[in-house]
Amino acid sequence: MAEKKKACIVGGGTCKFGVRAATIFDMLQEAAHAMSQDIPGLKPKDIDGLIFASTTAGRNSNSLNTAPIVAHRLGIKPSSICVRVDTLCSGSNTAIILATGLIESGISDVVLVCGTEKLNLPQRWESIYMNLMTNDHDWDSAMGLAVPPPFFGMIADAHMKKYGTTKEQMGSVSVTNYAYGFNNPNAQFGGKSLTIDDYLNARTVCDPFGLNDCCPVTDGASAVIIASEERAKAMTNRPLVYIRGTGQVATHGMSAGWPGETLADWPHLKKAGEIAYKAAQITPKDIDVAQTHDCFSISEIVEVEELGFCKKGEGGAFVASGQVKVDGQTPTNTDGGLLAVGHPYGATGARQAVEICKQLQGRALNQVKNAKFGLTHNLSGVCAQHTVVIYGTEPVK
Amino acid sequence: MAELKSAKIYGVPQLDGKYSVVLDMWPLEDPEQNRLYPFYDNMKQGRWTTTKCKKCGYISYPPVVACPNCWGDELEWIDLPKTAKVVSLTETMAGAPLGFDSPLIVAWLGFDKSHPLKHLFVRIINCQAGQLKPGDEVQFVTFEVPSIPIDVKKETKICDRVYYAFEPVKK
Ligand SMILES: [Zn+2]
Repeated sequence: MAEKKKACIVGGGTCKFGVRAATIFDMLQEAAHAMSQDIPGLKPKDIDGLIFASTTAGRNSNSLNTAPIVAHRLGIKPSSICVRVDTLCSGSNTAIILATGLIESGISDVVLVCGTEKLNLPQRWESIYMNLMTNDHDWDSAMGLAVPPPFFGMIADAHMKKYGTTKEQMGSVSVTNYAYGFNNPNAQFGGKSLTIDDYLNARTVCDPFGLNDCCPVTDGASAVIIASEERAKAMTNRPLVYIRGTGQVATHGMSAGWPGETLADWPHLKKAGEIAYKAAQITPKDIDVAQTHDCFSISEIVEVEELGFCKKGEGGAFVASGQVKVDGQTPTNTDGGLLAVGHPYGATGARQAVEICKQLQGRALNQVKNAKFGLTHNLSGVCAQHTVVIYGTEPVK
Repeated sequence: MAELKSAKIYGVPQLDGKYSVVLDMWPLEDPEQNRLYPFYDNMKQGRWTTTKCKKCGYISYPPVVACPNCWGDELEWIDLPKTAKVVSLTETMAGAPLGFDSPLIVAWLGFDKSHPLKHLFVRIINCQAGQLKPGDEVQFVTFEVPSIPIDVKKETKICDRVYYAFEPVKK
Protein backbone atom coordinates (compact mmCIF):
# COMPACT_ATOMS: atom_id res chain seq x y z
CA MET A 1 0.00 0.00 0.00
CA ALA A 2 1.25 3.45 -0.88
CA GLU A 3 2.28 5.62 2.03
CA LYS A 4 -0.39 7.98 3.29
CA LYS A 5 0.08 11.56 2.10
CA LYS A 6 0.29 14.40 4.60
CA ALA A 7 -2.34 17.17 4.69
CA CYS A 8 -1.51 20.80 5.52
CA ILE A 9 -3.47 23.98 6.05
CA VAL A 10 -1.88 26.61 3.83
CA GLY A 11 -3.76 29.74 4.90
CA GLY A 12 -7.14 31.36 4.64
CA GLY A 13 -9.33 34.31 5.44
CA THR A 14 -12.74 35.52 6.51
CA CYS A 15 -15.01 38.37 5.62
CA LYS A 16 -16.08 40.88 8.24
CA PHE A 17 -18.44 39.03 10.61
CA GLY A 18 -21.52 40.78 11.91
CA VAL A 19 -24.91 42.01 10.74
CA ARG A 20 -24.01 42.16 7.07
CA ALA A 21 -25.70 43.94 4.15
CA ALA A 22 -24.65 41.06 1.89
CA THR A 23 -25.75 37.67 0.57
CA ILE A 24 -23.93 34.41 1.31
CA PHE A 25 -22.32 34.57 -2.13
CA ASP A 26 -21.11 38.15 -1.56
CA MET A 27 -19.56 37.10 1.75
CA LEU A 28 -17.96 33.97 0.26
CA GLN A 29 -16.32 36.11 -2.41
CA GLU A 30 -15.04 38.48 0.29
CA ALA A 31 -13.61 35.49 2.19
CA ALA A 32 -11.98 34.14 -1.00
CA HIS A 33 -10.46 37.57 -1.57
CA ALA A 34 -9.09 37.65 1.99
CA MET A 35 -7.71 34.13 1.47
CA SER A 36 -5.98 35.22 -1.76
CA GLN A 37 -4.29 38.03 0.20
CA ASP A 38 -3.16 35.47 2.78
CA ILE A 39 -1.77 33.04 0.17
CA PRO A 40 -0.10 35.20 -2.50
CA GLY A 41 0.11 33.31 -5.77
CA LEU A 42 -2.94 31.11 -5.12
CA LYS A 43 -5.12 30.94 -8.24
CA PRO A 44 -8.64 29.52 -8.67
CA LYS A 45 -7.24 26.96 -11.14
CA ASP A 46 -4.93 25.51 -8.44
CA ILE A 47 -7.94 24.11 -6.62
CA ASP A 48 -9.26 20.65 -7.48
CA GLY A 49 -11.76 20.17 -4.66
CA LEU A 50 -14.49 22.20 -2.96
CA ILE A 51 -16.13 21.34 0.33
CA PHE A 52 -18.64 24.00 1.25
CA ALA A 53 -20.32 24.16 4.65
CA SER A 54 -23.66 25.77 5.37
CA THR A 55 -26.73 24.70 7.24
CA THR A 56 -29.12 27.50 6.38
CA ALA A 57 -28.19 28.15 2.71
CA GLY A 58 -31.21 26.13 1.63
CA ARG A 59 -33.62 27.83 3.94
CA ASN A 60 -32.38 31.38 4.52
CA SER A 61 -30.86 31.93 1.09
CA ASN A 62 -33.18 29.73 -1.01
CA SER A 63 -30.20 27.82 -2.28
CA LEU A 64 -30.28 24.01 -2.19
CA ASN A 65 -27.44 22.09 -3.88
CA THR A 66 -25.31 25.11 -3.17
CA ALA A 67 -21.82 23.74 -3.85
CA PRO A 68 -21.89 24.10 -7.67
CA ILE A 69 -23.15 27.66 -7.28
CA VAL A 70 -20.31 28.44 -4.88
CA ALA A 71 -17.80 26.89 -7.32
CA HIS A 72 -19.15 29.04 -10.14
CA ARG A 73 -19.15 32.26 -8.14
CA LEU A 74 -15.58 31.65 -6.92
CA GLY A 75 -14.32 30.74 -10.36
CA ILE A 76 -13.22 27.22 -9.54
CA LYS A 77 -13.88 24.04 -11.49
CA PRO A 78 -13.52 21.18 -9.00
CA SER A 79 -12.41 17.86 -10.47
CA SER A 80 -12.02 15.67 -7.36
CA ILE A 81 -14.93 16.70 -5.12
CA CYS A 82 -17.63 19.38 -5.07
CA VAL A 83 -20.01 19.02 -2.14
CA ARG A 84 -21.88 20.82 0.59
CA VAL A 85 -21.78 19.60 4.19
CA ASP A 86 -24.29 20.43 6.88
CA THR A 87 -23.24 19.77 10.45
CA LEU A 88 -24.58 23.08 11.74
CA CYS A 89 -22.03 24.80 14.01
CA SER A 90 -19.16 22.49 13.04
CA GLY A 91 -19.70 22.66 9.28
CA SER A 92 -16.33 23.84 8.02
CA ASN A 93 -14.41 21.96 10.73
CA THR A 94 -16.14 18.82 9.48
CA ALA A 95 -15.16 19.88 5.96
CA ILE A 96 -11.52 20.08 7.06
CA ILE A 97 -11.71 16.48 8.34
CA LEU A 98 -13.15 15.38 5.00
CA ALA A 99 -10.54 17.35 3.02
CA THR A 100 -7.79 15.77 5.13
CA GLY A 101 -9.05 12.30 4.31
CA LEU A 102 -9.29 13.06 0.60
CA ILE A 103 -5.76 14.45 0.54
CA GLU A 104 -4.22 11.68 2.64
CA SER A 105 -5.80 9.10 0.33
CA GLY A 106 -4.60 10.86 -2.83
CA ILE A 107 -8.08 11.60 -4.20
CA SER A 108 -7.60 15.38 -3.90
CA ASP A 109 -4.51 17.60 -3.90
CA VAL A 110 -5.77 21.12 -3.13
CA VAL A 111 -9.16 21.54 -1.47
CA LEU A 112 -10.94 24.81 -0.81
CA VAL A 113 -12.91 24.53 2.43
CA CYS A 114 -15.34 27.37 2.90
CA GLY A 115 -18.42 28.04 4.96
CA THR A 116 -21.06 30.68 5.32
CA GLU A 117 -24.31 31.55 6.96
CA LYS A 118 -26.78 34.42 6.61
CA LEU A 119 -28.51 34.38 10.00
CA ASN A 120 -29.82 37.95 10.20
CA LEU A 121 -32.94 37.86 8.04
CA PRO A 122 -35.05 40.84 6.90
CA GLN A 123 -37.36 40.37 9.89
CA ARG A 124 -36.03 39.34 13.31
CA TRP A 125 -38.80 36.82 14.07
CA GLU A 126 -37.59 34.58 11.27
CA SER A 127 -33.99 34.48 12.55
CA ILE A 128 -35.36 32.99 15.78
CA TYR A 129 -38.02 30.85 14.13
CA MET A 130 -35.53 29.35 11.66
CA ASN A 131 -33.66 27.76 14.56
CA LEU A 132 -36.67 25.49 15.18
CA MET A 133 -35.55 23.70 12.03
CA THR A 134 -31.99 23.08 13.28
CA ASN A 135 -32.98 20.66 16.06
CA ASP A 136 -35.02 17.44 15.98
CA HIS A 137 -38.09 19.17 14.62
CA ASP A 138 -40.89 16.80 15.60
CA TRP A 139 -39.57 16.19 19.13
CA ASP A 140 -37.34 18.87 20.68
CA SER A 141 -38.24 21.83 18.46
CA ALA A 142 -41.95 21.34 19.02
CA MET A 143 -41.13 21.84 22.71
CA GLY A 144 -39.83 25.31 21.83
CA LEU A 145 -36.17 24.42 21.48
CA ALA A 146 -35.06 27.03 18.93
CA VAL A 147 -32.26 29.47 19.76
CA PRO A 148 -29.95 27.78 22.25
CA PRO A 149 -29.73 30.11 25.31
CA PRO A 150 -32.38 28.25 27.36
CA PHE A 151 -30.66 24.89 26.89
CA PHE A 152 -27.17 26.19 27.64
CA GLY A 153 -28.63 28.13 30.57
CA MET A 154 -29.59 24.76 32.05
CA ILE A 155 -26.06 23.48 31.36
CA ALA A 156 -24.69 26.46 33.31
CA ASP A 157 -27.16 25.79 36.12
CA ALA A 158 -26.05 22.14 36.27
CA HIS A 159 -22.35 23.10 36.31
CA MET A 160 -22.88 25.69 39.04
CA LYS A 161 -24.76 23.18 41.19
CA LYS A 162 -22.42 20.23 40.67
CA TYR A 163 -19.03 21.97 40.60
CA GLY A 164 -19.63 25.31 42.29
CA THR A 165 -18.88 27.35 39.16
CA THR A 166 -19.69 31.03 39.66
CA LYS A 167 -21.13 33.84 37.55
CA GLU A 168 -17.81 35.70 37.97
CA GLN A 169 -15.89 32.74 36.52
CA MET A 170 -18.25 32.67 33.54
CA GLY A 171 -17.70 36.42 33.24
CA SER A 172 -13.94 35.93 33.04
CA VAL A 173 -14.47 33.90 29.83
CA SER A 174 -16.42 36.75 28.23
CA VAL A 175 -14.01 39.45 29.41
CA THR A 176 -10.98 37.46 28.17
CA ASN A 177 -12.49 36.70 24.77
CA TYR A 178 -13.70 40.25 24.17
CA ALA A 179 -10.14 41.40 25.00
CA TYR A 180 -8.73 38.90 22.48
CA GLY A 181 -11.22 40.10 19.85
CA PHE A 182 -10.59 43.79 20.45
CA ASN A 183 -7.90 44.12 17.75
CA ASN A 184 -9.51 41.63 15.33
CA PRO A 185 -10.79 43.73 12.41
CA ASN A 186 -13.19 41.00 11.25
CA ALA A 187 -14.78 40.38 14.65
CA GLN A 188 -18.40 41.39 15.15
CA PHE A 189 -17.35 43.00 18.46
CA GLY A 190 -13.91 44.16 17.28
CA GLY A 191 -12.94 47.34 19.11
CA LYS A 192 -15.41 46.63 21.92
CA SER A 193 -13.96 46.20 25.39
CA LEU A 194 -15.79 44.52 28.23
CA THR A 195 -15.13 44.83 31.95
CA ILE A 196 -16.40 42.44 34.58
CA ASP A 197 -18.71 45.21 35.82
CA ASP A 198 -20.15 45.68 32.30
CA TYR A 199 -20.64 41.94 32.21
CA LEU A 200 -22.39 41.71 35.57
CA ASN A 201 -24.64 44.69 34.77
CA ALA A 202 -25.69 43.52 31.29
CA ARG A 203 -29.35 42.76 30.67
CA THR A 204 -30.50 39.20 31.35
CA VAL A 205 -31.07 36.96 28.32
CA CYS A 206 -32.23 33.94 30.28
CA ASP A 207 -31.09 32.78 33.68
CA PRO A 208 -28.14 32.69 34.45
CA PHE A 209 -27.01 34.37 31.22
CA GLY A 210 -26.58 38.06 30.62
CA LEU A 211 -26.03 39.50 27.15
CA ASN A 212 -22.25 38.90 27.16
CA ASP A 213 -22.55 35.20 28.05
CA CYS A 214 -24.00 34.54 24.60
CA CYS A 215 -22.44 34.76 21.16
CA PRO A 216 -24.31 37.16 18.87
CA VAL A 217 -26.39 36.42 15.76
CA THR A 218 -23.86 36.70 12.96
CA ASP A 219 -23.57 36.70 9.17
CA GLY A 220 -20.20 35.73 7.74
CA ALA A 221 -18.05 33.53 5.56
CA SER A 222 -14.60 31.98 5.80
CA ALA A 223 -12.28 30.07 3.49
CA VAL A 224 -9.11 27.97 3.93
CA ILE A 225 -6.89 25.88 1.69
CA ILE A 226 -6.10 22.30 2.71
CA ALA A 227 -3.44 20.76 0.48
CA SER A 228 -0.97 17.91 0.24
CA GLU A 229 2.47 18.62 1.72
CA GLU A 230 4.03 18.84 -1.76
CA ARG A 231 1.44 21.29 -3.07
CA ALA A 232 1.52 23.32 0.15
CA LYS A 233 5.30 23.68 -0.15
CA ALA A 234 4.90 24.96 -3.71
CA MET A 235 2.25 27.48 -2.64
CA THR A 236 3.86 29.16 0.36
CA ASN A 237 7.21 30.09 1.88
CA ARG A 238 5.77 30.03 5.37
CA PRO A 239 6.38 27.14 7.81
CA LEU A 240 4.03 24.26 7.03
CA VAL A 241 1.17 23.47 9.38
CA TYR A 242 0.07 19.83 9.39
CA ILE A 243 -3.26 18.30 10.31
CA ARG A 244 -2.16 15.66 12.82
CA GLY A 245 -5.38 14.18 14.13
CA THR A 246 -9.15 14.54 14.08
CA GLY A 247 -12.14 13.23 15.98
CA GLN A 248 -15.87 13.64 15.62
CA VAL A 249 -18.35 12.04 18.00
CA ALA A 250 -22.13 12.16 17.63
CA THR A 251 -24.23 10.47 20.29
CA HIS A 252 -27.76 11.72 19.78
CA GLY A 253 -29.92 14.22 17.93
CA MET A 254 -32.70 14.57 20.46
CA SER A 255 -32.59 15.37 24.16
CA ALA A 256 -33.72 11.91 25.38
CA GLY A 257 -30.38 10.56 24.11
CA TRP A 258 -28.19 12.97 26.12
CA PRO A 259 -25.07 10.91 26.99
CA GLY A 260 -24.03 12.55 30.29
CA GLU A 261 -25.13 11.85 33.85
CA THR A 262 -25.98 15.56 34.08
CA LEU A 263 -25.95 18.42 31.58
CA ALA A 264 -22.59 19.51 33.08
CA ASP A 265 -20.89 16.34 31.82
CA TRP A 266 -20.03 16.04 28.13
CA PRO A 267 -18.57 12.53 27.66
CA HIS A 268 -18.98 12.83 23.88
CA LEU A 269 -16.51 15.74 23.83
CA LYS A 270 -14.07 13.85 26.05
CA LYS A 271 -14.18 10.96 23.59
CA ALA A 272 -13.75 13.17 20.50
CA GLY A 273 -10.70 14.74 22.14
CA GLU A 274 -9.20 11.37 23.08
CA ILE A 275 -9.57 10.10 19.50
CA ALA A 276 -7.91 13.24 18.09
CA TYR A 277 -5.06 13.24 20.66
CA LYS A 278 -4.35 9.57 19.94
CA ALA A 279 -4.20 10.17 16.18
CA ALA A 280 -2.01 13.24 16.72
CA GLN A 281 0.25 11.30 19.11
CA ILE A 282 0.15 14.03 21.73
CA THR A 283 -1.61 14.69 25.04
CA PRO A 284 -3.72 17.66 26.21
CA LYS A 285 -0.73 19.25 27.97
CA ASP A 286 1.08 19.50 24.60
CA ILE A 287 -1.55 21.89 23.20
CA ASP A 288 -0.02 25.39 23.01
CA VAL A 289 -3.11 27.20 21.70
CA ALA A 290 -6.78 26.20 21.32
CA GLN A 291 -9.91 27.50 19.67
CA THR A 292 -12.86 25.96 21.49
CA HIS A 293 -16.55 26.48 20.82
CA ASP A 294 -17.45 29.32 23.20
CA CYS A 295 -21.03 29.75 21.97
CA PHE A 296 -21.69 30.59 25.62
CA SER A 297 -19.30 31.45 28.43
CA ILE A 298 -20.16 28.19 30.19
CA SER A 299 -19.29 26.21 27.04
CA GLU A 300 -15.62 27.19 27.23
CA ILE A 301 -15.53 26.20 30.91
CA VAL A 302 -16.87 22.70 30.18
CA GLU A 303 -14.63 22.38 27.11
CA VAL A 304 -11.32 23.08 28.86
CA GLU A 305 -12.30 20.31 31.27
CA GLU A 306 -13.43 17.68 28.78
CA LEU A 307 -10.49 18.43 26.45
CA GLY A 308 -8.17 17.71 29.40
CA PHE A 309 -6.60 21.15 29.86
CA CYS A 310 -7.65 20.95 33.53
CA LYS A 311 -9.43 18.47 35.80
CA LYS A 312 -13.19 17.88 35.47
CA GLY A 313 -15.05 20.42 37.55
CA GLU A 314 -12.14 22.87 37.71
CA GLY A 315 -12.87 24.71 34.44
CA GLY A 316 -14.25 27.78 36.22
CA ALA A 317 -11.12 28.25 38.32
CA PHE A 318 -8.92 27.45 35.31
CA VAL A 319 -10.34 30.23 33.14
CA ALA A 320 -10.63 32.73 35.98
CA SER A 321 -6.98 32.23 37.00
CA GLY A 322 -5.83 33.35 33.54
CA GLN A 323 -4.74 29.96 32.20
CA VAL A 324 -6.56 30.72 28.92
CA LYS A 325 -4.78 34.06 28.45
CA VAL A 326 -1.95 34.43 25.97
CA ASP A 327 0.74 33.74 28.61
CA GLY A 328 -1.31 31.09 30.44
CA GLN A 329 -1.15 27.29 30.26
CA THR A 330 -3.51 26.91 27.28
CA PRO A 331 -4.33 30.20 25.53
CA THR A 332 -7.86 29.72 24.23
CA ASN A 333 -9.94 31.56 21.63
CA THR A 334 -7.09 33.92 20.87
CA ASP A 335 -8.90 35.72 18.02
CA GLY A 336 -11.94 36.48 20.20
CA GLY A 337 -13.82 33.22 19.80
CA LEU A 338 -17.50 32.96 19.03
CA LEU A 339 -18.31 35.39 21.83
CA ALA A 340 -16.47 38.32 20.24
CA VAL A 341 -16.00 37.32 16.58
CA GLY A 342 -19.55 36.00 16.17
CA HIS A 343 -20.84 32.64 15.00
CA PRO A 344 -22.13 32.17 11.45
CA TYR A 345 -22.43 28.40 11.99
CA GLY A 346 -20.81 26.91 8.87
CA ALA A 347 -18.10 29.60 8.77
CA THR A 348 -16.82 29.16 12.31
CA GLY A 349 -14.62 26.05 12.00
CA ALA A 350 -12.61 27.49 9.10
CA ARG A 351 -12.28 30.79 10.97
CA GLN A 352 -10.77 28.90 13.91
CA ALA A 353 -8.47 27.03 11.52
CA VAL A 354 -7.17 30.32 10.08
CA GLU A 355 -6.29 31.49 13.60
CA ILE A 356 -4.49 28.24 14.49
CA CYS A 357 -2.61 28.35 11.16
CA LYS A 358 -1.42 31.88 11.94
CA GLN A 359 -0.50 30.95 15.52
CA LEU A 360 1.59 27.99 14.40
CA GLN A 361 3.28 30.14 11.75
CA GLY A 362 4.06 32.84 14.36
CA ARG A 363 1.97 35.60 12.76
CA ALA A 364 -1.20 35.86 14.85
CA LEU A 365 -2.45 39.17 16.27
CA ASN A 366 -2.39 37.77 19.81
CA GLN A 367 0.63 35.54 19.23
CA VAL A 368 1.35 32.67 21.62
CA LYS A 369 5.10 32.34 21.98
CA ASN A 370 6.63 29.39 20.14
CA ALA A 371 3.32 27.58 19.47
CA LYS A 372 3.88 24.08 18.05
CA PHE A 373 0.54 22.35 18.58
CA GLY A 374 -2.94 23.84 18.11
CA LEU A 375 -6.48 22.51 18.52
CA THR A 376 -9.87 23.53 17.16
CA HIS A 377 -13.19 22.34 18.55
CA ASN A 378 -16.83 22.80 17.63
CA LEU A 379 -19.98 21.51 19.15
CA SER A 380 -23.05 21.39 16.98
CA GLY A 381 -26.74 21.61 17.64
CA VAL A 382 -27.71 21.59 21.27
CA CYS A 383 -24.43 19.96 22.19
CA ALA A 384 -25.25 16.82 20.20
CA GLN A 385 -21.98 16.37 18.31
CA HIS A 386 -18.34 17.31 18.96
CA THR A 387 -15.60 17.87 16.39
CA VAL A 388 -11.89 18.20 17.21
CA VAL A 389 -8.96 18.87 14.86
CA ILE A 390 -5.32 18.99 16.00
CA TYR A 391 -2.60 20.82 14.07
CA GLY A 392 1.17 20.80 14.43
CA THR A 393 4.30 22.31 12.93
CA GLU A 394 5.58 18.77 12.30
CA PRO A 395 3.64 15.86 10.78
CA VAL A 396 2.84 12.68 12.72
CA LYS A 397 5.81 10.38 12.23
CA MET B 1 -46.74 51.00 8.64
CA ALA B 2 -47.50 50.35 5.00
CA GLU B 3 -49.83 47.46 4.31
CA LEU B 4 -48.79 44.53 2.13
CA LYS B 5 -50.16 45.42 -1.32
CA SER B 6 -51.81 42.09 -1.80
CA ALA B 7 -52.08 38.76 -0.13
CA LYS B 8 -51.40 37.29 -3.58
CA ILE B 9 -47.67 37.79 -3.82
CA TYR B 10 -46.46 35.42 -6.48
CA GLY B 11 -43.96 32.85 -5.29
CA VAL B 12 -44.93 33.19 -1.64
CA PRO B 13 -47.81 30.72 -1.36
CA GLN B 14 -48.19 30.89 2.42
CA LEU B 15 -49.34 34.48 2.03
CA ASP B 16 -52.18 33.28 -0.19
CA GLY B 17 -53.81 31.32 2.60
CA LYS B 18 -51.99 28.15 1.66
CA TYR B 19 -50.11 25.77 3.96
CA SER B 20 -46.33 25.51 3.64
CA VAL B 21 -44.57 22.64 5.39
CA VAL B 22 -41.26 24.54 5.61
CA LEU B 23 -42.86 27.02 7.98
CA ASP B 24 -44.61 24.45 10.17
CA MET B 25 -43.30 24.09 13.71
CA TRP B 26 -45.46 21.04 14.46
CA PRO B 27 -45.05 17.48 13.15
CA LEU B 28 -46.98 15.99 10.23
CA GLU B 29 -49.02 13.57 12.31
CA ASP B 30 -51.40 11.82 9.94
CA PRO B 31 -51.10 8.34 8.33
CA GLU B 32 -50.60 9.91 4.87
CA GLN B 33 -47.33 11.49 6.01
CA ASN B 34 -45.93 9.67 9.01
CA ARG B 35 -45.63 6.02 10.03
CA LEU B 36 -45.52 7.09 13.69
CA TYR B 37 -49.14 8.31 13.51
CA PRO B 38 -50.20 5.94 16.35
CA PHE B 39 -48.12 8.10 18.71
CA TYR B 40 -50.35 11.05 17.90
CA ASP B 41 -53.55 9.00 17.82
CA ASN B 42 -52.68 7.68 21.30
CA MET B 43 -51.95 11.23 22.41
CA LYS B 44 -55.47 12.25 21.37
CA GLN B 45 -56.64 9.68 23.98
CA GLY B 46 -54.37 11.28 26.59
CA ARG B 47 -51.76 8.50 26.36
CA TRP B 48 -47.99 9.01 26.25
CA THR B 49 -46.60 6.07 24.32
CA THR B 50 -43.55 4.82 22.51
CA THR B 51 -42.32 1.69 20.73
CA LYS B 52 -40.79 -1.43 22.27
CA CYS B 53 -38.88 -3.96 20.17
CA LYS B 54 -40.48 -7.43 20.24
CA LYS B 55 -37.16 -9.04 19.34
CA CYS B 56 -34.72 -7.49 21.83
CA GLY B 57 -37.01 -5.65 24.22
CA TYR B 58 -35.38 -2.25 23.64
CA ILE B 59 -37.61 0.73 24.37
CA SER B 60 -36.68 3.75 22.28
CA TYR B 61 -37.63 7.38 22.55
CA PRO B 62 -38.68 8.93 20.28
CA PRO B 63 -40.64 5.96 18.85
CA VAL B 64 -39.30 4.33 15.69
CA VAL B 65 -40.23 2.01 12.82
CA ALA B 66 -36.96 0.04 13.15
CA CYS B 67 -35.31 -0.72 16.50
CA PRO B 68 -32.11 1.33 16.98
CA ASN B 69 -30.68 -1.53 19.07
CA CYS B 70 -31.13 -4.41 16.58
CA TRP B 71 -32.85 -2.87 13.53
CA GLY B 72 -35.71 -5.32 13.95
CA ASP B 73 -39.01 -4.02 12.63
CA GLU B 74 -41.46 -5.85 14.88
CA LEU B 75 -42.46 -3.26 17.42
CA GLU B 76 -45.30 -2.74 19.85
CA TRP B 77 -46.69 0.44 21.37
CA ILE B 78 -46.36 0.75 25.15
CA ASP B 79 -47.55 3.40 27.60
CA LEU B 80 -44.97 5.56 29.38
CA PRO B 81 -45.43 6.67 33.01
CA LYS B 82 -46.57 10.29 32.82
CA THR B 83 -44.76 12.00 35.69
CA ALA B 84 -41.24 13.33 36.13
CA LYS B 85 -39.17 15.65 38.32
CA VAL B 86 -37.80 19.02 37.20
CA VAL B 87 -33.98 19.01 37.32
CA SER B 88 -33.55 22.49 35.88
CA LEU B 89 -35.67 25.05 34.09
CA THR B 90 -35.44 28.36 32.23
CA GLU B 91 -38.07 30.98 31.55
CA THR B 92 -37.76 33.03 28.35
CA MET B 93 -39.59 36.25 29.15
CA ALA B 94 -39.28 37.79 25.67
CA GLY B 95 -38.20 36.58 22.23
CA ALA B 96 -39.86 33.17 22.22
CA PRO B 97 -40.16 31.71 18.71
CA LEU B 98 -43.29 32.60 16.72
CA GLY B 99 -46.09 30.32 17.86
CA PHE B 100 -44.90 30.06 21.46
CA ASP B 101 -46.20 32.40 24.14
CA SER B 102 -43.88 34.27 26.47
CA PRO B 103 -42.91 33.37 29.07
CA LEU B 104 -41.74 30.21 27.34
CA ILE B 105 -40.86 27.85 30.18
CA VAL B 106 -38.67 24.86 29.30
CA ALA B 107 -37.28 22.23 31.64
CA TRP B 108 -34.80 19.39 31.85
CA LEU B 109 -36.67 16.48 33.35
CA GLY B 110 -35.30 13.52 35.29
CA PHE B 111 -37.27 10.30 35.44
CA ASP B 112 -37.66 7.64 38.09
CA LYS B 113 -35.28 4.66 37.75
CA SER B 114 -38.17 2.42 36.65
CA HIS B 115 -39.00 4.76 33.75
CA PRO B 116 -37.63 3.88 30.28
CA LEU B 117 -36.41 7.48 29.86
CA LYS B 118 -33.56 8.97 31.84
CA HIS B 119 -34.02 12.61 30.95
CA LEU B 120 -35.88 14.82 28.47
CA PHE B 121 -36.11 18.45 27.36
CA VAL B 122 -39.73 19.64 27.52
CA ARG B 123 -41.95 22.67 27.45
CA ILE B 124 -43.94 23.47 30.60
CA ILE B 125 -47.47 24.84 30.17
CA ASN B 126 -50.33 25.78 32.49
CA CYS B 127 -47.71 27.39 34.71
CA GLN B 128 -46.87 30.95 35.78
CA ALA B 129 -43.32 32.33 35.62
CA GLY B 130 -41.65 31.75 38.98
CA GLN B 131 -44.12 29.05 40.00
CA LEU B 132 -42.04 25.96 39.30
CA LYS B 133 -38.81 24.99 41.10
CA PRO B 134 -36.19 22.28 40.60
CA GLY B 135 -37.35 19.13 42.38
CA ASP B 136 -41.04 19.79 41.65
CA GLU B 137 -43.14 17.07 40.05
CA VAL B 138 -44.67 17.61 36.61
CA GLN B 139 -47.04 15.55 34.48
CA PHE B 140 -47.71 14.85 30.81
CA VAL B 141 -50.42 17.00 29.25
CA THR B 142 -51.74 17.34 25.68
CA PHE B 143 -53.09 20.32 23.76
CA GLU B 144 -54.45 21.05 20.30
CA VAL B 145 -52.24 22.58 17.63
CA PRO B 146 -53.36 24.00 14.25
CA SER B 147 -54.96 21.67 11.71
CA ILE B 148 -53.43 21.42 8.27
CA PRO B 149 -54.73 20.63 4.77
CA ILE B 150 -53.26 17.65 2.91
CA ASP B 151 -53.96 16.85 -0.73
CA VAL B 152 -55.22 13.26 -0.97
CA LYS B 153 -55.98 12.41 -4.61
CA LYS B 154 -58.55 15.01 -5.72
CA GLU B 155 -59.68 15.90 -2.20
CA THR B 156 -58.19 18.12 0.46
CA LYS B 157 -58.21 16.40 3.83
CA ILE B 158 -58.11 18.48 6.99
CA CYS B 159 -55.89 16.88 9.62
CA ASP B 160 -56.46 17.77 13.25
CA ARG B 161 -53.32 17.71 15.35
CA VAL B 162 -52.24 17.55 18.98
CA TYR B 163 -48.96 17.88 20.82
CA TYR B 164 -47.73 17.40 24.37
CA ALA B 165 -45.93 19.25 27.11
CA PHE B 166 -45.68 18.90 30.89
CA GLU B 167 -47.53 20.84 33.58
CA PRO B 168 -47.07 21.24 37.34
CA VAL B 169 -48.73 18.57 39.49
CA LYS B 170 -51.10 20.34 41.86
CA LYS B 171 -49.86 19.98 45.43
ZN1 LIG C 1 -34.44 -4.50 18.95
